[in-house]
Amino acid sequence: MADAVALSGSSSFLREKVLLGMGWGEYLRSLLTPANAVAAVILAVGLPLLGYRFAAGLGATTALSQAYPWGIWIGFDMMTGIVLAAGGFTIGASVQLLGLRDYHAIERSAILTAFLGYLMAVIGLLADLGRPWNIVQAVFNYGSASPLFEVAWCVMCYTTVLLLEFTVPFFEWMGWRKLHAVLKNMLIALTVLSVVFSTMHQSALGSLFLLAPTKLHPLWYSPFIFIFFFISAILAGISMAVIESSISHRVFARQLAGHQVDVDGLVVGLGKAGAVVAFAYFFIKLQGVIDGHAWAHLATGWGALFLVETVGLALVPSLLFAWGARNRQPRAVKIAAVLAVGGIILNRLNVSVIAFNWTNPVRYMPSWMEVWISLTLVTLGVVAFRWIVNRMPIVREDPAFPQGHG
Amino acid sequence: MTSDFLAIYPAKLMEYGLAVTYLLLFVPMWRYVQGGRKEAAAQAVRGLHDAERWPAVAVAAPWPSLGWFQVPAGVALHPGHTWARLEADGLVSVGIDDFAQRLVAPTQVDLPRAGAMVTQGEAAVALGDGRHSVPLVSPVNGTVVVVNRAVAEDPNLLQNAYGTGWLFKVKAPRLEADQRQLLHAQAARHFLDGEAEALAMRASPEVGQVLQDGGVPVDGLARALAGDDGWEALAREFFHTEKGTP
Repeated sequence: MADAVALSGSSSFLREKVLLGMGWGEYLRSLLTPANAVAAVILAVGLPLLGYRFAAGLGATTALSQAYPWGIWIGFDMMTGIVLAAGGFTIGASVQLLGLRDYHAIERSAILTAFLGYLMAVIGLLADLGRPWNIVQAVFNYGSASPLFEVAWCVMCYTTVLLLEFTVPFFEWMGWRKLHAVLKNMLIALTVLSVVFSTMHQSALGSLFLLAPTKLHPLWYSPFIFIFFFISAILAGISMAVIESSISHRVFARQLAGHQVDVDGLVVGLGKAGAVVAFAYFFIKLQGVIDGHAWAHLATGWGALFLVETVGLALVPSLLFAWGARNRQPRAVKIAAVLAVGGIILNRLNVSVIAFNWTNPVRYMPSWMEVWISLTLVTLGVVAFRWIVNRMPIVREDPAFPQGHG
Repeated sequence: MTSDFLAIYPAKLMEYGLAVTYLLLFVPMWRYVQGGRKEAAAQAVRGLHDAERWPAVAVAAPWPSLGWFQVPAGVALHPGHTWARLEADGLVSVGIDDFAQRLVAPTQVDLPRAGAMVTQGEAAVALGDGRHSVPLVSPVNGTVVVVNRAVAEDPNLLQNAYGTGWLFKVKAPRLEADQRQLLHAQAARHFLDGEAEALAMRASPEVGQVLQDGGVPVDGLARALAGDDGWEALAREFFHTEKGTP
């Protein structure tokens, strides 16, 4: 009898919390949407491919070679995934540390994006490591002068902090009040840690290139590259917050019924910040060119690529951010955010793949399997984000925790 | 590019030149980006005077509320029984409404100090009788600029709750957003009627407020209904500042 009660208790938990109040049949039918079909195809091919990579090795799945040991799993999954996850600490710090409480409406989705971004980047990194099982060595060997040591520790620590930050909505979802109260009280401390770790980590990814000053094209190499990485991470965080909050407040609008969230107002506010940061970033990149005596390269094809990245996708978004913020045009701010994110993705790819080993006569082109696995990781992140937002109090507030988002 | 030793000097010159250029350009850039704020504030002001929210016909006359409590035109109510009014100088006056004044009829008023930050929906002032005191929330976000000391010295001024009984003035940078949470005109009147009804239910739970009641509630109604020790809890309930809520 007791078992039967427990069983019905757990099945109602499953039904309410996981199946969104539907029965299995109804729930499975609700999954039959075009977007899910596309995701299913990507995952159906990608997940076995990921397994194949671990079974057969890098040589069988990638176009990497001794001359080109870093491909898009580093350039896109790791470098870009991490920088686009910067919204977590940017928005978290704005709300918890700078007291900009208006932005708490988008704080949780920014933290969730960051958490999933980091998880996917870690999977991408493991796929890229020749001997992924050796990653545990980073914990036991204190190579404190090594940028990779710093990167490894920051990834571990920051992913843990993001996990802890994410447990606040998770515990609300589970209804675990005591644990929730403990974590909620820790939130400011966690935000401080998240700023510390991501500041170190974002810049440490840039510091990696200090090891290879001659391999990176002079237009991108600078002894201050870690500062470039950090500032562009802030810009990426702001821009991703604009894009991600606009999309999620549209896609999940159903959850917001009855709640007044002035998303356009938040977007305009973020636009002001984006304008100033992108403006500074453009000038600091220019300073790098002067400092590297790299003017002459601007007239080459590399220079054109550099100008697209810095003028087209940093200065132009800065001015567009400014115009949109001043004239309260959220649409302009969103376009600027898309351009800025494009610029940062291009920057990370330029630094770690395209303009890296630029003198090498053999060019690297990723294999289809590398591209597909990257696509799989992005899809996994999006699917997980949607699964979580549909269930946990990320965009909406949980009525049982009225101060939950505070 | 060049390995010329002297090239370091022109490079340094350019670096400093770029830094100075950046700083010089940053000033107009900053002013341009922030410039929108004045416009937004002006919009907020226009919004407050918007005909829909603040009908021009009623500007001079108090709202003819059907119930016991009054709310004049130009005043927006917070559900916690405080009001906000945009003044000609751009500051926002804040006070307690007619309902709060009659419910508590305080002998003691605690005001924030000038320079303090107040947050919409969070406690900003307190009314008391010397033994107990109840907090009331601020209707807007902002910084307190002027405090009405006269009310602290003579709480009787509160009998003119929307006039001499104003409590403090704030500089409210996000007035446009704040006012969306406030009740204007018709909505404010309905709100006060509803609160009057709720109060009447406390007085005579069986029938509520009836036409024959006619008269106006006595000042210090909370004490009359709940006694010297119970009035505080009753008032907190109406002011949405129950103990245990932040």
